[in-house]
Amino acid sequence: MSRIGVFICWCGENIARTVDVDALAQEVSKFPGVRCAMNYKYVCSDPGQALVREKIAAEKLDAVVIASCSPHMHLKTFRRAAQLAGLNPYKVEMANIREHCSWVHHDRAKATAKAASLIRLSVEKARLDHELQPIRVPVTRRALVIGGGVAGIQAALDIADAGYEVVMVEREPSIGGKMAGLSETFPTLDCSQCILTPRMVEVGQHPRIKLYSYSEVERVEGYIGNFTITIRQKARYVDISKCTGCGDCWSVCPLKRNKSEFDYGMGVRASIYVPFPQAVPARPVIDAKTCAKIIRNGCGLCEKKCKAGAINFQDTDKLVEEKVGAVVVATGYKLYDIGEKQDKASLAGYGEYGYGQYKDVIDSLQFERLLSASGPTNGVLKRPSDGAEPKNVVFISCVGSRDNAKGLPYCSKICCMYTAKHAMLYKHKVHDGQAHVFYMDIRAGGKGYEEFVRRAIEQDGAKYYRGRVSKITQEDGKLVVRGADTLAGVPITVEADLVVLAAAMRPADGVAELAQKLNVGYDEFGFLLESHPKLRPVETNAAGVFVCGACQAPKDIPESVAQASAAASKVAVTFAADELMREPEIAGINEQTCVACYACLRACPYHAIEQAEVRTPRGVFVKHTARVNPGLCMGCGTCVAVCPSKSADLEGFTEQQIYAMVESLV
Amino acid sequence: MNEAGQFEPKIVAYVCNWCTYLGADLAGTTRLEYPPNVRIIRLPCTGRIDFNLIVKAFEIGADAVLVSGCHPGDCHYTAGNYHARRRWILFRELLEALGFEMERIHFTWISAAEGRKWQQVVTEITEQTRKLGPYKNLYADTGNGSLPIPEAAPAVDQPAGSEGSLRQRCHQLLADGTVKVVIGYGTGGPVCVTKPADVGRLVWNNQCSSNLTTYLKRQEVRKLGRAAIVVKVCDERALVVLEKESQLDRKDLHVMGMACNGMGQPKCATCDVRVPRFADEVIGEVASVPLAGPPNAAPRGGAALEVLLAKSPAERMACWAREFERCVKCYACRQVCPLCYCERCIVEKNRPTVIDPSPTVKGNFAWHITRAFHLAGRCIGCDECTRACPAGIDLRLLNLSLAKAAEEHFGYRAGINRDVEPLIGAYSLQDKENFIR
Ligand SMILES: Cc1cc2nc3c(=O)[nH]c(=O)nc-3n(C[C@H](O)[C@H](O)[C@H](O)COP(=O)(O)OP(=O)(O)OC[C@H]3O[C@@H](n4cnc5c(N)ncnc54)[C@H](O)[C@@H]3O)c2cc1C
Ligand code: SF4
Ligand code: SF4
Repeated sequence: MSRIGVFICWCGENIARTVDVDALAQEVSKFPGVRCAMNYKYVCSDPGQALVREKIAAEKLDAVVIASCSPHMHLKTFRRAAQLAGLNPYKVEMANIREHCSWVHHDRAKATAKAASLIRLSVEKARLDHELQPIRVPVTRRALVIGGGVAGIQAALDIADAGYEVVMVEREPSIGGKMAGLSETFPTLDCSQCILTPRMVEVGQHPRIKLYSYSEVERVEGYIGNFTITIRQKARYVDISKCTGCGDCWSVCPLKRNKSEFDYGMGVRASIYVPFPQAVPARPVIDAKTCAKIIRNGCGLCEKKCKAGAINFQDTDKLVEEKVGAVVVATGYKLYDIGEKQDKASLAGYGEYGYGQYKDVIDSLQFERLLSASGPTNGVLKRPSDGAEPKNVVFISCVGSRDNAKGLPYCSKICCMYTAKHAMLYKHKVHDGQAHVFYMDIRAGGKGYEEFVRRAIEQDGAKYYRGRVSKITQEDGKLVVRGADTLAGVPITVEADLVVLAAAMRPADGVAELAQKLNVGYDEFGFLLESHPKLRPVETNAAGVFVCGACQAPKDIPESVAQASAAASKVAVTFAADELMREPEIAGINEQTCVACYACLRACPYHAIEQAEVRTPRGVFVKHTARVNPGLCMGCGTCVAVCPSKSADLEGFTEQQIYAMVESLV
Repeated sequence: MNEAGQFEPKIVAYVCNWCTYLGADLAGTTRLEYPPNVRIIRLPCTGRIDFNLIVKAFEIGADAVLVSGCHPGDCHYTAGNYHARRRWILFRELLEALGFEMERIHFTWISAAEGRKWQQVVTEITEQTRKLGPYKNLYADTGNGSLPIPEAAPAVDQPAGSEGSLRQRCHQLLADGTVKVVIGYGTGGPVCVTKPADVGRLVWNNQCSSNLTTYLKRQEVRKLGRAAIVVKVCDERALVVLEKESQLDRKDLHVMGMACNGMGQPKCATCDVRVPRFADEVIGEVASVPLAGPPNAAPRGGAALEVLLAKSPAERMACWAREFERCVKCYACRQVCPLCYCERCIVEKNRPTVIDPSPTVKGNFAWHITRAFHLAGRCIGCDECTRACPAGIDLRLLNLSLAKAAEEHFGYRAGINRDVEPLIGAYSLQDKENFIR
């Protein structure tokens, strides 16, 4: 027979006014298994809790029901009280006779009767409560950072400076991300590389950061505190442990006319190359698609030239494993490719702008390279077609953003700012030039941002037209841009030498696949989903996986960096203790009756269920079974509902408890 | 009943902890009054709320059931509500086919901010149920309807020469050791042939209507070693389902597909493919017998299902009550089903007792609802259950109603496509929810 204590709270007048607490205590004390039932003015108060503790000890109670307010209000309070009195905290149940009863009913008799039945329900549940212990999960205090843009760099350095090891995986040959290719940055116009490259070097040299460049995450196993990450190191054909970065190889390579990815096709590189001089690691990679040795066993000059013997044409992809306790995703963005070919049915491209057709219609990142002192033109503004200095440049913002018809509905947030920056920097380089900007709205919220845009207009004389461009054609060597100035209500035509399109920001390629490996959600556009937009902005629904930077939503550098530091601090919080404590109210599977249909495995939103085998103590195979990984299970119970043999069950809400509750309502 | 002799409905509400429970809390905090008839059972997530709980609530005398959770996109566990929604869509169709009073079962999304919605929903349900009166018809003592009789297709002779080719191939397979046993049709019923010399026991004629795949779950058959199994296209679908559910490694089985002209069974009337598609080999060629429709056309539950669904809910319920009255809980339907492979069936679970095992009206309803729903999106329509039932209950119609629902709502047919994931355990953001308030 159970020994359950029921404590009915008056909650001052809140409950007692509508519920006859004396009659209730009397009735409840007659419920089977109830050892004592009493009422008290405020059970949550110190003396109230003391009363509960006293009774637990004096009456040797084996479970407690507190009939008061919502468990969301005080379940934790009463669990703590029970624990202090030596009762397992999971043997405490609450009956919500305030929010669900006294506050919503007026008829005293009916409210009292309902309260009794709610208590009855909780008594039935309490009787079947198991003693549970929080699950302790050991923590590998090492973090994985995926993506080495400014966000990933910031997160990695913060975590490493906090004293933890970091593994960084960057899929390009160098870290740096988009920022490494920017010219100067709004709103202060500091030179992008000048502020970023020291941070990149710090990553490269940090004793606690292990960098895998030209690598990708292949597989993710495990759960918070205990991830095993398989990393694919792509064949680089250069042994970077031997290479000294002297540069003999790329000077000798005869194939120097490959389009440079780093310059977005504005410049060229050899087939063996470092993407840019300040690359980290400053070690080359061979482009297997163009290398003559790899394609047809020709050339091989670099191998002959390399004094360090670092070239290895036999190189293959390698898989390595790393153990980490937390993951930060910082995979950044790409620009909407405004050409004709699209990867999504809803995107139609902007063929009418002639991107990809006219050489002098370029996108904004390409323009950054033309502006950059270390870019393909060494910062001298030359247009791609003939190298002439453009005297009239048209900037079009919102290309692909805020366009439900053939682009993306969202605002890319940063284009207004960098377009103003572009107009300004252009004027600084071409003093007699004229910048024309077509815009929809100017969104310049941020410290110093509005002032920045005003400067572009007022000091640098950029002409702003509110309106869309309908078409760009080429006539007599000029790009004819036809649009409208909706404020003036007139159509405008501008003859331009160069057109720069502020294409929408989209998540980097491959992020959906990565998100699936990590079990992180993403929205319809592919941006990763945070747990809560306001309260948990860098957490995801996968415990131990955090997001920062432009992979979560379009954002600029200050925001990316702030978010990266936030993610790093969340990682540090995760690593603060040797063990993580997790709620024990999770699922388990009766392996005797499980038929290994894996309905549960397919349904579990957290991929917490795995295929396993039952073996005898001697290791002889008995059967297949599903098994819950306690580190991953969040306790939703979806598995229980889909299990045909009812082999899955959920602690804290066991089948027996639920049926006992329902049956108490007979 | 209250003192005034007025009927007081009993309403059981299964709600999720994070949205609707908090919505009800908010109704309290804002002092929104509503009738005291509802009893909340707090569960972590709608994902946990299974149909057995709904059935149980009615069994203990609930007059209405409310199931409520987080709006799409709000689930605390990201997707529990989507899984729940898909199951509810199917479960409601089963209840419809049974003739259940749908006004007694309510589904809502109520968020933590929707205290007022909680108040309105509970008030309306209470009032509506008060008007409906006490719930009893699921457990009415006797029914007096009669189920439509399934129509059958004419029996047609099987392709000539198939039987000979089958024996010849089986001889080879057994002789060269590809398989250790052939599970096939014999004159008096199924046979397991293990010796090449015995292949003469195998037959192929228009008496081969049963689905032999059910023998794959038997230990004594499994023990015989690698098997070849003789299947028709309808039987083959069971293999596809079993494979999806990890009950079968297709590599371990040699499938002898028989081109079939129909066996004169009701199922043959709606058959739209005659040649197995995933078999290792196909024997024979079908005669140009007209099919019931183009391949993969919607499963026409057949005229019988239409007749059933055309009846009023009360009439349907009366029919089923009369059918289930005869059920003796022999579980032949379970035994013969190729897809009922649990080692301990849920009906044998006793802590807690999910299904009342007694052959009473209540117990029988609970069993048949469970049996049918466990086959939702899985039943391949071989009709073995119906043929096996000694009481002659036309279980087929329940299966068909669910198959029809799966097709209509999800474009899903069980066992047709090897690459599609099972219906239950998956969800789509597009799953309909016009029945959810
Ligand atoms: C034209 C233009 C001008 C801009 N000018 C400014 C400015 O002046 N001021 C400002 O504040 N902001 C500016 N921005 C915005 C700025 O570029 C971004 O805010 C910033 O780069 C975001 O950093 P990130 O690290 O999140 O992403 P990224 O810079 O995109 O870095 C992501 C990194 O992750 C790597 N990666 C991607 N996928 C994977 C994967 N699967 N595995 C491993 N690695 C992966 C990428 O290779 C990359 O190195 C500009 C943007 C544009 C388009
Ligand atoms: S309770 Fe939910 S999270 Fe845990 S194993 Fe089951 S389905 Fe997965
Ligand atoms: S759903 Fe049930 S029977 Fe199937 S694998 Fe999971 S626990 Fe086992």
